[in-house]
Amino acid sequence: MTRPDADGSGHETSRLGMRAHKNAVGPNPGDGSTERVGNGLNPPPAGITPSSGRRMRNIRLVLVGGGVLLMAWGALVMFDSVRPARIPGVALWIAAAIVLHDGIVAPIVLAGGIALRRAGRRITGTVVVIVQSGIVVGSIVSLIAVPTLVAKNFAPANPTVLPLNYGLNLGIFWVVLAAVTVGLSVWAFLRGRHPAETFPDDSGR
Amino acid sequence: MMYEAQRALASPVRNPRMATVIGRLLGAAFLVCFGTGLYSHFLQEPQDWMRFATRPEYLYQVTQGTHIIAGIACFPLLLAKLYIVFPDLFAYPPLQGFVHFLERASIALFVGASLVQITIGLLNTYQWYPWPFPFRQVHFALGWVLIGLLVIHIGVKLPIIARYWSKSSGSGDDSGDDDHLVDAVSADRASHAEAVRLSGASRPGGVTGRVLDYIDATPQVTSRVSRRGFLTTVGVATTAVVGLTAGQTFTPLNAVNLFAPRKKGVGQQGVPVNRTSEQAKVADAAMASSWTLTLAVSGTERSFTRAELLALPQTEVRLPIACVEGWSQMANWRGVRLRDLAEMMNAAPETAFRLISLEQRGSFSKTQMGSEYVRDPLTLVALELNGETLDLEHGYPARMIAPGRPGVLQTKWLSRIEAIS
Ligand code: HEM
Repeated sequence: MTRPDADGSGHETSRLGMRAHKNAVGPNPGDGSTERVGNGLNPPPAGITPSSGRRMRNIRLVLVGGGVLLMAWGALVMFDSVRPARIPGVALWIAAAIVLHDGIVAPIVLAGGIALRRAGRRITGTVVVIVQSGIVVGSIVSLIAVPTLVAKNFAPANPTVLPLNYGLNLGIFWVVLAAVTVGLSVWAFLRGRHPAETFPDDSGR
Repeated sequence: MMYEAQRALASPVRNPRMATVIGRLLGAAFLVCFGTGLYSHFLQEPQDWMRFATRPEYLYQVTQGTHIIAGIACFPLLLAKLYIVFPDLFAYPPLQGFVHFLERASIALFVGASLVQITIGLLNTYQWYPWPFPFRQVHFALGWVLIGLLVIHIGVKLPIIARYWSKSSGSGDDSGDDDHLVDAVSADRASHAEAVRLSGASRPGGVTGRVLDYIDATPQVTSRVSRRGFLTTVGVATTAVVGLTAGQTFTPLNAVNLFAPRKKGVGQQGVPVNRTSEQAKVADAAMASSWTLTLAVSGTERSFTRAELLALPQTEVRLPIACVEGWSQMANWRGVRLRDLAEMMNAAPETAFRLISLEQRGSFSKTQMGSEYVRDPLTLVALELNGETLDLEHGYPARMIAPGRPGVLQTKWLSRIEAIS
């Protein structure tokens, strides 16, 4: 599992950022492609073209400098208003959030996506995308709705806090969402069987 | 291994154009949250020189309602953004020197702090506080930190952002600049699959090889469908979380308020309650027949029983209660203008007041009111709510109601109002 093509551009590519991004389309798409996805997001150096380079660099320096000042102010506010004994708790929550997202949520989402595509091998890609979309929308709505169920368990301070039947509402939401997703999938499936009339680029797969 | 991981993560939506498109929406949402949050902060903790607008009278309902709406929109937007840039986690080599380390560290902090900020914000509106630190102070400080990190992030990525800002910057066709990128990805996958097929029995060995093989056997979705699907998903998810909660402040959406922590019209006298008389431990003092409201202006004090207040000229106003937690409720209030009381006490027009509740503890048992509110004809010592005697939970015997202020400053169970010299 080493780098498939050690063309020596590994370091260079990322350093050159966007320029490498363009060039790599050429002779060796197999190797360069995914790397460019990553590199496109990596910081390219200032000065893509010499003329705009200096201005761009100045703007970037101001932004980074200003951002550092804002952050420092935030840190000052934190240490000024929060008792020192409580600050490790903040750090712990931030660290836990990173681990939870990068280590657990993201891989599950990824695996789910792959499994779904795999399961939908014989279906048109559009249908897979629609189903995926439905699941994601439902999950995100659940993400903000499920905590209400938990919080309600702790007996809210008064009956006007969390007054709704959130479990029922979430159930209704999922049923409606499922119906819409199935409806759209059927529609897309039927359309997908006549590729000439529709999604021209879908038929070219 | 890192390259393999990145390859496996390749997807038509994971590209710089998409990172820019979602990123600027998320950035805008952060800025809106920060701006409205600062406004809320300074309303509660004004600097001496600060004066606030009292019109429109629903101003705070709009700013704080927007804070929570934009905040909730951050959930789908932030997750979408993280989905797009996930391959960067496996950048290789992981560290290329000190500057690169700083950049990655700032991104990690940005991700973690953003997730914490929106999570504690949301749970706070559910009045659930499962964290080991004070909400308001940490949320405020993290707000500054996050805006700083956002500005740094924009500075670091500026060339990419500039390049991918507009759709037309690339090949010019409808799907944008990144098309070649995506095609290359597809070609990559196709050729890999082809290679595997040709090599027949010699399937790639090792766990990673097998996993990649498995992934490559999945159906190809064209880049255009993927991208549109992704953007549609983000749009629908954002619309759903916002649309199904915003009814707690935005009346037209009241009917589809399925998931907000408050519901318009649910509460004593049709108004939701935040702090209860039980939490504030004021029931006895508030119901006592000996209750009076004392006004104190430069050495002179005068006490009013509820009957005496009711005997003064009464004014009826229509003002919303707008909570820091983002819900709001319009209501009809009746009582004595604070301005009239101030004039009766010969207070100078620029006098600010301190409002003191019967509540002994609690961070809002004593609050301040700037002269702009004191002088406003809509500011009342309210005695009635929606045509009835003020309910104990709404601050009986008397409470403040003023235009454009957060609910925590609409002091309930008033006991004393004194001029600040
Ligand atoms: C990146 C996004 C956000 C930023 C930058 C931000 C910033 C702020 C700031 C500066 C304040 C003022 C704090 C003070 O009064 O000292 C505030 C208050 C508040 N925010 Fe946020 N916020 C964000 C997201 C959210 C979200 C997602 C929610 C909930 C859904 C939320 C809920 C609240 C609440 C309830 C308050 C009132 C706190 C109080 O006065 O007791 N915030 N926010």
